[in-house]
Amino acid sequence: MKMADMPTIPRGSATGRRSKVSADLPRPIRPGAGAAYAETIQPDPRWIARRRWARAGIIYTLLLACSLLFVGPLLFALLSSLKDNPSEWPPRLDPPQLNPANWAAAWQLGRQGGGNGWFGQFAPGRSVSFEVRYLVPPGAAAVPPQVQVPRRVPGAGAGAVRLGPFAADVAEVSPPQEVSRQPLARGTVVTYRFRIRNAGTVAVDRLPLDVSVPAGQVFQGATLWPSRQERQGRVQSWNNVTAGLIPYVFNNYVRVFRENYSRSTGQNLFLAWIRNSFLLATVRVLTTLVFAAMAGYALARLRFPGRNAVFFTLLFSMMIPSQVLFISNYLVLRDGIWGLAQIWGQQTLLNSFTGYLLSSVVTASGVFIMKQFFESLPASLEEAARIDGAGYIQVFTRVILPLARPALGALTILTFQGTWNEFFWPLVVLTAPQDRFTLTVGLLSFRRTYGVAFDWGPLLAGAIISALPVIILYLVFQRYFVEGISFTGTKG
Amino acid sequence: MFRITHLPVRGVALMLAVAIVCASLLVAAVPGPAQAKERVVRVSGWGGTDIAIVEELIDRFVKPQVAKEGIVVKYEPVADEFSTYLMNSLSAGTAPDLFYVDIYWSHGVFASGAVEPLDSYLAKSRVLKARDIVPDLLKAFTLNGKIYGIPKDFNTLALFYNKDLFDAAHVPYPNANDNWNTLTEKLRKVTNKSKGIYGIALTPEFARFGAFAYAAGFKPFDAQGHTDLSQPAFADAFKWYTGLVREGIGVLPADLGQSWGGGAFATEKVACAVEGAWMLGFLRDQAPNLPYGVTLLPKNPKTGKRGNIIYTVSWSMNAASKDKDAAFRVLEALTSPEAQQWILERGLALPSRAKLANNPYFQKGTPEAQANKIVFAGASDGYVYPFSFGKYGGDWMTPINEALAAVMSGKATADQVLPDLTARLRQLTK
Amino acid sequence: MRIRRTQRAAEGVAGYLFLLPFLLWLLIFFAYAFVRSVYFSFTDYNLFQPPVWTGLANYLALFREPLFLTALRNSLAFALVVTPAQTLLAFLLALVLNQKLRGILAFRSAYYMPSVTSSIVITLIFIWLYQRQGAINYLLTLGRAYGHLVLAGLALLVLFQLAQVLLERRRGLPAGWTDPVLGLSSLFLAVGAVAALVAAGVLPLARPADPVSIIWLNTTDRFPQGPISAPIPLIAIMLMNIWTTAPTFMLLYLAGLQDVPRELYEAAAVDGAKPWQQVVHITWPQLRPVTFLVLTLGLIGTLQMFDQVAIIGDQAPLQSTITLAYYVYHNAFPPGAIPRLGMASAAAVVLAVLTLCVVWLQRRVLRY
Repeated sequence: MKMADMPTIPRGSATGRRSKVSADLPRPIRPGAGAAYAETIQPDPRWIARRRWARAGIIYTLLLACSLLFVGPLLFALLSSLKDNPSEWPPRLDPPQLNPANWAAAWQLGRQGGGNGWFGQFAPGRSVSFEVRYLVPPGAAAVPPQVQVPRRVPGAGAGAVRLGPFAADVAEVSPPQEVSRQPLARGTVVTYRFRIRNAGTVAVDRLPLDVSVPAGQVFQGATLWPSRQERQGRVQSWNNVTAGLIPYVFNNYVRVFRENYSRSTGQNLFLAWIRNSFLLATVRVLTTLVFAAMAGYALARLRFPGRNAVFFTLLFSMMIPSQVLFISNYLVLRDGIWGLAQIWGQQTLLNSFTGYLLSSVVTASGVFIMKQFFESLPASLEEAARIDGAGYIQVFTRVILPLARPALGALTILTFQGTWNEFFWPLVVLTAPQDRFTLTVGLLSFRRTYGVAFDWGPLLAGAIISALPVIILYLVFQRYFVEGISFTGTKG
Repeated sequence: MFRITHLPVRGVALMLAVAIVCASLLVAAVPGPAQAKERVVRVSGWGGTDIAIVEELIDRFVKPQVAKEGIVVKYEPVADEFSTYLMNSLSAGTAPDLFYVDIYWSHGVFASGAVEPLDSYLAKSRVLKARDIVPDLLKAFTLNGKIYGIPKDFNTLALFYNKDLFDAAHVPYPNANDNWNTLTEKLRKVTNKSKGIYGIALTPEFARFGAFAYAAGFKPFDAQGHTDLSQPAFADAFKWYTGLVREGIGVLPADLGQSWGGGAFATEKVACAVEGAWMLGFLRDQAPNLPYGVTLLPKNPKTGKRGNIIYTVSWSMNAASKDKDAAFRVLEALTSPEAQQWILERGLALPSRAKLANNPYFQKGTPEAQANKIVFAGASDGYVYPFSFGKYGGDWMTPINEALAAVMSGKATADQVLPDLTARLRQLTK
Repeated sequence: MRIRRTQRAAEGVAGYLFLLPFLLWLLIFFAYAFVRSVYFSFTDYNLFQPPVWTGLANYLALFREPLFLTALRNSLAFALVVTPAQTLLAFLLALVLNQKLRGILAFRSAYYMPSVTSSIVITLIFIWLYQRQGAINYLLTLGRAYGHLVLAGLALLVLFQLAQVLLERRRGLPAGWTDPVLGLSSLFLAVGAVAALVAAGVLPLARPADPVSIIWLNTTDRFPQGPISAPIPLIAIMLMNIWTTAPTFMLLYLAGLQDVPRELYEAAAVDGAKPWQQVVHITWPQLRPVTFLVLTLGLIGTLQMFDQVAIIGDQAPLQSTITLAYYVYHNAFPPGAIPRLGMASAAAVVLAVLTLCVVWLQRRVLRY
């Protein structure tokens, strides 16, 4: 019940009035209603202040705990989207990608490879110096590790068809030299150093590395922390030693953009999806604003036969799930709205933005919000304008719309968010080609591409990127969101 | 309640104007399907790794061949539920000219009448003949005597093993001479060697179990098209397969936190997995240094034969295609020996052309080439059936999968589930 | 008289002009679509051949099909669990957030975050969290290993609070059982005591426990076992949905809380009502219209649940997640088979009727 007694705290402290109530009469002690009898004994102001602080402390703790519940999963996904393997067990909260020492190393290695630190590469003639440390158990002989630059394609998605150039073709590795020995109780830590040189004539964008030691030697650390360890710790493996800072920290994000492009047009698919979502959302916001405001005004203010029937149909339509309607709507678009689309040269409106936009040019809930809003406006302004001889359109554009700013703002945000997040209808209408997906459909195709190989990194990164615009929009225009939600609720 | 005053009046008016302009521009700007001045052939398949492969194929092998005939190839891969997309677009008349058909759901598509039979084209063609293709594969895409698709590649099952784990237990690697009993013994030794290590990862799915049922001599359909699970072969395979897990030699991938055999294999906690060549890309990515070997599936001790399942996908042609000759030209180029060789040499997929069986690639010593060789050989060794259950589709497998899951998770015994399972399949196929 | 009539006619024309775009949209994409769905539901239609009238055959077949009955059961279970749960959670969150404290807006923003994010993003993240070796099972594992410390801490907290309150009262000071100052110090004491007990070796730091490995998605198991149960994957989706939708409705409650007259609380406080009594007797009844709306919207929303099932896809068995909305889609566009639009439309009509009935029933029962 701790939660329940909170809302009354700031309001229920009507101390002034209550002090009239017989201050001298001893009142029974009522557990839980501290404020009510605080005055029965002369309240010490310091005591009251302390109480307030303590109460605030408890409330803030509670609020923080709830925030963890609601934002925690999202933050954890954000954190894990940096990891090489987001499904690691046990999940750690301190991936090497967040360690400044690794940042410095990634920067250094990127520069050594001929890049600029932010983005690295492995350029001809450049050489990279690398150190690894192993713990050799007491009594065992220290065996220098075997270093190999493997011929490896990046990722399970489109990267799998990489055609080269491969670092393995140009890299020369110097034999590892022992640099130092540090005796410890559990053995000796031996550090080795080797150099990898690009002896070829082409620059390579990634330099993978495998370092293997005999069983028994325990990996302690390296210039850069490895991407994964295999064979019970016998092999340390790096995806890209000369990545540079950004591809090192945001590896999965870089993969999302680099690996998803159309080979025929060279177009970046992920960017295309973002652009599509933006375009569709923007156009839809504009059309919805205009048409919903018009319809809402007519339904709220103008009298004409059939008005109630229209409004009833509108309410009814808000209760019917879109899955009930989509078969017919799909067929209507398929046939180009009874062939009307041929006017502008389209046989079918499937897989076309026009089709998608025409079928969602306005929403019933948008009209509903606008109608509710217009009904809450006083009629007097309008009447004055009418008496001055203004026509309906003039009244609407000059008087009504300016007043409707708050509702339009809310509707803008709600429609934008709704379109950006919409899944079902784009899934039905926009199925091909790939560069015509919206971000939500694109993410579903990601699930097919990377999910098959349980390559969660790019999946999480893609999800985070696609969530960001709406979250930013929300943080900036919060008030519109809140108003929008309460519009639906004010008179429902 | 309405306190927001940030949107300027003119903004609203401006937005009105922009809305209308935008909407009309968009209507005008988004072009319809390209008008057929040039001979456009639209090609479609599903997403994932295939996209990159097909794009390369088209760029390297198709475009140079067909460009001089004025044919333009447009590749339009689909993100999700390709079969659904295909059905819809076939019905809508918007389907691409060439598309993938997976053997698994081929029956429904071919039966719809929307797919063009290819026999006459093959008869006329100079570069693509029916006899060029591995016969079992072509047969899989034949319905009522007509060929509805040219297999583009295929896959079968093989036994992948982790050399480290066998070495650690001083057990010889599985090999082509193993039968169910000898393999079980090897796996038992590996399992007993160290705690937390299992002999083999087995999924409760007909898609894997079927290969063993076939090895025992099980036939999915009799001459009348009925399914009879009371064949002893089925029960034998069922008991051996589920028994491995009940004995603790086998493990469900789910018990290792994985959803398939490959995932379990990559954890280095199971010594073997039954998968196809799709494992290679996965291991390359997730466990590049895992020392693995590949061999044929073990033989059934009674029949002395192996069993296997063929997974294959065809290129098929739209019966409503506007320029079928052009579409077939593209199909020829897509399945040309050069194209298939290119795919094979990169370890991307196995070719459907019989001649490529002797490709030097298979003789390469790399584990991947070895694996591909084994998978290629699996298609013609013992009792082999395509992964297809006619008009029943997935419904045919569902009861079997449920029974496998119930027994392998320890909720029921094989003897408890088999009578009911037999009755369900009899009912389904009656 | 005539002027008025022409004026009225003009108003009518203007009304329809303003309404025209919306009306066209409503007619084509709602009314026509709805009528056509009903028509298709009485036909056999596969997109390749024209529809053939079959009367009630689809409906009869529907109620004999196990998958449809499963979908119906799942949809109802989903709506009946998620709607009340998210309503209650939304109400409680709104109470917590309805404070005049510094930074309360930041908290409101944070809580609302799941609701602005798209279903696909949330579902993708949750598929990952729900993996057999995912974060949710890891948290449960932690709970299994350290749960005893939390329990001990809570018990000590109660003990310390009791002791302190009694002590204060003996000194003649008025102290409620939930006195915040004492509560805070009890909390510190309890944390310190647990730390001391662990350091002294009385309590083990972590109990040895196997990792929790609940299969959340890829299972046909049900929970709880017995006649009233739901598939575990569906429960997983329920938890996720409560988490995403509760904040939306929380905003409605927060808006409603602004309108509750303050005098009511003050009068109640004078009458000596305890805070929880104020919530039960003032806040909750005053927010009845909001609750009513939230329930209606919640029922409509939960009965249409589709995205999550589609996105989870083959990560969970179909019969463990399928809902009516997905059943419609699944029949209209079955993977690898010829479309069964008649069946799909019949199921769609059932879904529509079900939605209307449930909403009507809720209105009747609550009688607002």
